[in-house]
Amino acid sequence: MGGLEGSLGQNFITARLDKLVDWSRRSSLWPATFGLACCAIEMMATTMPRHDLSRFGMEAFRASPRQADVLIVAGRLSQKMAPVFRHIYDQMMEPKWVISMGACASTGGVFNNYALVQGVDQIVPVDIYVPGCPPRPEMLIDGIMLLHERIKNGEYRVRRTPEGVG
Amino acid sequence: METAYLSGREWTERARSLREEGWRLSAYCGVDRLNLGGGEVRFEMVAQLMQPETKDLLTIHVGAEGDPPTIPSVSGIFPTVNFMEREAYDLYGIRFEGHPNLRRLLLPDEWEGHPLRKDYGVGKVPLQFLPQPFLQIDQPGQAPDAAEAGAEVDDLGQSGRAR
Amino acid sequence: MSKTFDRLVSGIDSDGHGAYVEEHDEESNSMVINMGPVHPSTHGVLRLLLELDGETVLRCEPIIGYLHTGMEKECEDQNWRGAVTIVTRMDYLAQFANEQVYSMAVEELLGIDLPPRAVAIRCMIAELNRLSSHLVWFGTTGLDMGAMSAMFYGFREREMILDFFEMVTGLRMNNGYIIPGGVWVDLPDGWDAALEAILDVMPKRLDEYEALLNENPIFLERTSGVGVLSRDDALALGATGPIARASGVDWDLRRDMPYEGYEGVTFAVPTATSGDVYGRYRVRMAEMRETLELIRHFADNMPEGDFKNMDPKLTPPPRSELNRSMEAVIHHFKLVTQGFTVPEGETYARVESPRGELGCYIVSDGGTSPYRCHVRDPSFVNLQALGPMAQGQLIADLIATIASTDPIMGGVDR
Repeated sequence: MGGLEGSLGQNFITARLDKLVDWSRRSSLWPATFGLACCAIEMMATTMPRHDLSRFGMEAFRASPRQADVLIVAGRLSQKMAPVFRHIYDQMMEPKWVISMGACASTGGVFNNYALVQGVDQIVPVDIYVPGCPPRPEMLIDGIMLLHERIKNGEYRVRRTPEGVG
Repeated sequence: METAYLSGREWTERARSLREEGWRLSAYCGVDRLNLGGGEVRFEMVAQLMQPETKDLLTIHVGAEGDPPTIPSVSGIFPTVNFMEREAYDLYGIRFEGHPNLRRLLLPDEWEGHPLRKDYGVGKVPLQFLPQPFLQIDQPGQAPDAAEAGAEVDDLGQSGRAR
Repeated sequence: MSKTFDRLVSGIDSDGHGAYVEEHDEESNSMVINMGPVHPSTHGVLRLLLELDGETVLRCEPIIGYLHTGMEKECEDQNWRGAVTIVTRMDYLAQFANEQVYSMAVEELLGIDLPPRAVAIRCMIAELNRLSSHLVWFGTTGLDMGAMSAMFYGFREREMILDFFEMVTGLRMNNGYIIPGGVWVDLPDGWDAALEAILDVMPKRLDEYEALLNENPIFLERTSGVGVLSRDDALALGATGPIARASGVDWDLRRDMPYEGYEGVTFAVPTATSGDVYGRYRVRMAEMRETLELIRHFADNMPEGDFKNMDPKLTPPPRSELNRSMEAVIHHFKLVTQGFTVPEGETYARVESPRGELGCYIVSDGGTSPYRCHVRDPSFVNLQALGPMAQGQLIADLIATIASTDPIMGGVDR
């Protein structure tokens, strides 16, 4: 072992700062509670004993968007709810991520009609789409781990523009 | 199950006497008879009532006459219809005279139209296939861009793929 | 302000109106605040407009529609069989009750009978559904009162029931299992052992829950005398289910107007007279025990035979027939491409869902899709009782009151 660690002993490790930031961001994502419909119940089930989301450092659901990093859109988004949803997203601090959970959030699902927004990606940029109606807790966990992987690989180091590019 | 067809005025009187006899109102919803035929009024409200002691059931159709269709509100007699009348106002545009708070219930306040009417479309958004460069044709009869560039076009109009 | 307050304490004014009129006196000391639609304890996207005098709620007006999905319109766009997939997503914690009431309405118009096995399967699975729905209520109520472990317990047991649903229907939620004419697939091998495991463990777990909360001083402090709904208000506002039963309305459709398999079955209907949050808690807990008995009754008396009506005009023929009979192919083709038709008429069916009277009003014009399909959802009607319950109490108690109403916004907004 050379470098700094060599001269200071085993009490230090060195890393590139951006890698360290990516790692720490990945390791404790705090989701916002944004349960809308059926998927919200499965999202709750994901945090409960059998599936235990706290294994991935994500059990701290925050009611305030200011304290949350990842917005899990769990359920169908109606036209009436859409402005509220965008407001919640805008209140979140960068860096922030969005998981679209379930068919309704991703594409409108079986409801192709006047009342629903056909996919939340029309309103906010979405990072991970989780299919299913509703997705099983395992599927949500899989989506979350994909997001972890992408954060760890440093895909999100550039601040997004208001349109969600970047 | 008994069924009765009433006008708005008869309905208020009947509702009052039904309430005194102990009937409970379970459901109160609108129907648009545009494609059903039979009967002159297009909109009607259908009330489902039940007498808890004798277990009798009663269905009452109340015609909404005029433009906009209007029915006297019975929210003073059966307070439970407060939301149900607002829902019918929202989705069918039926007015309830004397309702204390007749505003849209489910849809945003600035919404135009009444979606459960039969002449209001479902509002389907057509499935969007993202345009592929090798399939893009702006006008009928026009050759695909890729074909102009000299690429081979197969029977299905696709090009640029290795065979 | 005082005038408004007097009018609103009873929940119903002298003209009998529900009186949630937007009239806020700017000069008064009261304050209007907004709660929701994104709030950790409003159970979904319920929004409440509150008028407060300090910490006291003067008026509470629910504003709904944030989950309006246009399902009634969507049903008109589907065929009769396809509408099952829509109604099951309305009240997503009582999905089987939704399917059951819709199927009952369609069957009444069709004028068909169900094989006894189909009826028993339906009632058994609907009772299991009541159990799983009450477990979610138990968990979220506990969570709202600060008893996080209640949430863990409730969801732990719910997973067992969902495993059973998955074994029978292939899905955990939104099953689409009960269809007009019966159920779409028979019970799998080994269902009785899986059910026995649930029935064995549940009474012990219910004891555990009750030991946790029944006499817990903090829980009692937060629930007893809170969110009181009088019997008269409950009847006037049309409240049904555990809310009405906790206010002393002894009414349960399963017993008083028996449908399907409930005819001739005796079971107790728990009631309370206090009308407060604690009363509703006790009623639901007692209901869970009764439900276990009912499940056992239906499982023990499960008849053999068909699990759906085998009328070829209603049910596609089995796959093996298609190779042999031209008639079967035609029936199959017609049913898959168009679906069956339902004679002209209208009907209203009602069942007792975990939250109260669930009704389905259907109009048919004789075609292959519903002309009108209205679902009278219990949460939609029960939510009107929130105003009278909340008036005059502290805002912190409002959380407990909302939890005890157990509103499912998918059902409210449809």
